[in-house]
Amino acid sequence: MNLSGNVQKTKKFKLPEETSVLVALIVLIGIVGALRPTFLKPTNLLNLAASYAIAALLAGCIVFLLSMGEIDLSFGWILNLSAVLAGISMIAGAPVWVGILIGVAAGTAMGALNGVLTVFMRLPLIIVTLGTASVFQGVSLISNNSGSVVPTEERITQHVYFRALGGSIDTPVPIILIFVVLCFVGLHLLLHKTRFGYRILAIGSNPEAARLAGIPTKKIKIQVCALMGAVSGVGGVLFLGFRGAVDPTTGGQMLLPVVAAAIIGGTPLSGGAGTVWGSLIGAMIVGVIGVGVVFIGIDAVWGTLVTGLVILFAIGVDQIVRVRKKRAS
Amino acid sequence: MMKSRKARVGALALAATMAITAGGVTSPAQAKEKKLTIGFVVHVVGNPFIQQIIDAAKMAAKDLGVTIKVTGPAGAEGDAQLTAVQNLAAAGVDGIATSVPSASMVNGLNAVIKSGIPIVQFNGLGEGVNAPYVGEKSTQSGRILGKMVLDKIGGTAAKGKVIVGNCFPGFPVLENRQAGVLESLKKAAGVEIVGPSDVKVDAAANFAAWQGLLAANPEALAMVGLCAPDVESIGKVNKAANNTKTIGAGYDLTAGNLEALANGSAHISLGQTPFIQGYLPVYILVDSIKKKIKINKPGFIDAGTEVVTATSVTEPFKLPKLTFKDLQAMATSKTKTRKYYDPVVKGYIKDWKKNLKPVSAESA
Repeated sequence: MNLSGNVQKTKKFKLPEETSVLVALIVLIGIVGALRPTFLKPTNLLNLAASYAIAALLAGCIVFLLSMGEIDLSFGWILNLSAVLAGISMIAGAPVWVGILIGVAAGTAMGALNGVLTVFMRLPLIIVTLGTASVFQGVSLISNNSGSVVPTEERITQHVYFRALGGSIDTPVPIILIFVVLCFVGLHLLLHKTRFGYRILAIGSNPEAARLAGIPTKKIKIQVCALMGAVSGVGGVLFLGFRGAVDPTTGGQMLLPVVAAAIIGGTPLSGGAGTVWGSLIGAMIVGVIGVGVVFIGIDAVWGTLVTGLVILFAIGVDQIVRVRKKRAS
Repeated sequence: MMKSRKARVGALALAATMAITAGGVTSPAQAKEKKLTIGFVVHVVGNPFIQQIIDAAKMAAKDLGVTIKVTGPAGAEGDAQLTAVQNLAAAGVDGIATSVPSASMVNGLNAVIKSGIPIVQFNGLGEGVNAPYVGEKSTQSGRILGKMVLDKIGGTAAKGKVIVGNCFPGFPVLENRQAGVLESLKKAAGVEIVGPSDVKVDAAANFAAWQGLLAANPEALAMVGLCAPDVESIGKVNKAANNTKTIGAGYDLTAGNLEALANGSAHISLGQTPFIQGYLPVYILVDSIKKKIKINKPGFIDAGTEVVTATSVTEPFKLPKLTFKDLQAMATSKTKTRKYYDPVVKGYIKDWKKNLKPVSAESA
C-alpha cells in the first residue's frame, strides 16, 4: 500500500518553478491593461519586450553566476566596451560581420579576465569586478575620446544586420526578440541539461564538496565568467545594431534591473539553483513595472521606488526559503 | 515551496497595486474636455537645475490647459530615456518634449516622429533628430564664461593654471561649452589648462573631485566647471580650504550656486534660462498640434544665456533688470519666476516660429 502510494505521489503533476512569477507577470499586465487598454496592443507588447530584450539576455546569463554564488558588477561596461570596439572597427573599415566578431571576442576576453583575476587573486568576483568595471569604462572612454560611436557610412547603416535589428526590415516580431529567445533556449539547455551546468550548480551549492568531488572549480569559474563576458559582448553588438549608435553611458545603469530580473525570476543569491526562464519573466516584470508607471501617469520617482520594493520583497522571500531549507537539512 | 510562491506573487501584486494607486487617474471631467496630453522626458530625475526646467514645463501646461506627464530615468542613460519616450508614445500622448543626451536615441526618436507624434528637444541636442531644439548656444556660452574667467585672472597676460572640469564627458552640449571655454582661455599664452577632468554629476562625488583637483593644484588661478553642481562644489572647496585666491566659475543658477556667489566663495555662474527650456517646448508642441503646424525638421531656438556675478545680473531678451537678491528669490519661488518671465511668454515664446533658426546656429 505504501509503495503504490509513493509511486502515485511521484507521478503527481508538478508546476514549473517559474509558475509563480509568470502568474505575477500576467497579473501585472492585466492590471495595467485594465486601466489603459492601449497597453495590451500586440505591437506595444512586442516593442516593450524588444526594448528590454538586451537586459533580459544579460539576466539570463547572470543566472549562471548567481547559481555559482557569484555576482559580476562589470557586465554593463563589458557591453559598452564591446559595442564601442565593434563600432570603431566598423568605422575604421572592417566589414560589419568582422566588427561583430571583434565585439563578441572582446567581451569574452574581458569576462575571462574577470575569471582569471578572481581565481588567481582568490577574491570573490564582486570585489574583482568593482575594479574591472571602472577599467572597462575607462578604456571605453579612452577608445572613443569620451564621445558616442555613431556609424554613418551607408555600407554599415544599410547592412542587413543594422537594418534587421534597427527595424528597417518589417517583421511580425522584432528580430532582436527572436534572437534573444533563441539565446534563452541555449542558456536554459546549457544550465540544466549539460555537465557544465550541473557543475555550476554543484559549485554554488557547496564549493568545497564540489572540489572534493573532482569538479575543476577554478576552470569552471573562469568559463562562467567568460560566458558572461561573451553574452555581454553579444548584448553590446545587439545594442549597436538595435540603436545604431553607442554612447559613453550605455550599459552603466544596467546592473540593478538585470540582477533584479534574475532575483525576481526566482534565482536565489545563495547559489546552487537558478532558472533561466524565470529571469526572462523577471526582466519582463521589471519592464512592465517601468512601462506601467508611464502608461498610468506616475512620476518616474515612483517607478524607481516600486522596482526597489519588488526587489526587496523578492530577496526577502528568497531568504525565507533559504533559511527554511537550511533548517530542514 | 507553495507558500514561497504565494508570497512572491503576493509581494509583486502588492507592489503593482501601490504603483497603480499612487498615480493620478484621469477624472471623468478631464476625459470630457479631451485635453491634450504632453509627455515631458528629462535625462535625470532629482537634479535641482532639471527640476527648474520641469517646474517651467508644468507652468506652461497649466497656462495652456493641457495635461503633462513628466518622466525620466533615475540615472542618466540614453537607452532608458528613449524607452520612456517610446512608452509615452505608446500610451497615446499627443506630443513629447525630451532632452537628448545620447546619440543612440536618435533613430528611436525619429521613428516616433515618423509615427506622427511631434517631438521637441530641449537642453541636450541630438544631432540628426527631426525636431526643433530649445537650448543655449553652447559653444558661445563657453566662450563667454572663458572670457569672463580670463578677465578675472589678468586677461591675456595671465600666467598660471586653470582647472577645467566636465561632469559628463561625451555629452555634446558640455563638449561644446568646453570647446568654447578652452578657446577663450587659450588667448592667454601663459595659461596652463589642467584637465578637462571628469568631476562627476553626483553632488558628493563632484565636491570630492574638485577638492582633489585643488589639493593637487593649490596655486591654480581658477576652477571652471561646466555643469550645475560645479559652482556650489567649487565654492565649498574654496571655503573649506580658506582659499580666496582661486576664481570659481561655472553654470546654472540653482539656489546652491547663487549662495556660493553671494558668500564670495565662487565668482561667476552662467544661467541657461531653465524657464524657457521648460516652457517653450510645451508651448511649441501645443501650438503646433492645435494649429496643425509640422515641426518634423531640425531647428534651433535660443533659450538665451544669463550672466551672473555677486554684483551684476545680465538677463537675455531685454528682460527687466534684476538684482542678485531678486535672482536668489526667484530660484526658490515658482510664482516669482512665472511673473518675471511673463513678457517673454507673451513675446519671444509666442513668436517661436519667427525665432526658429537652422540647427547649425546652436554651435556657432
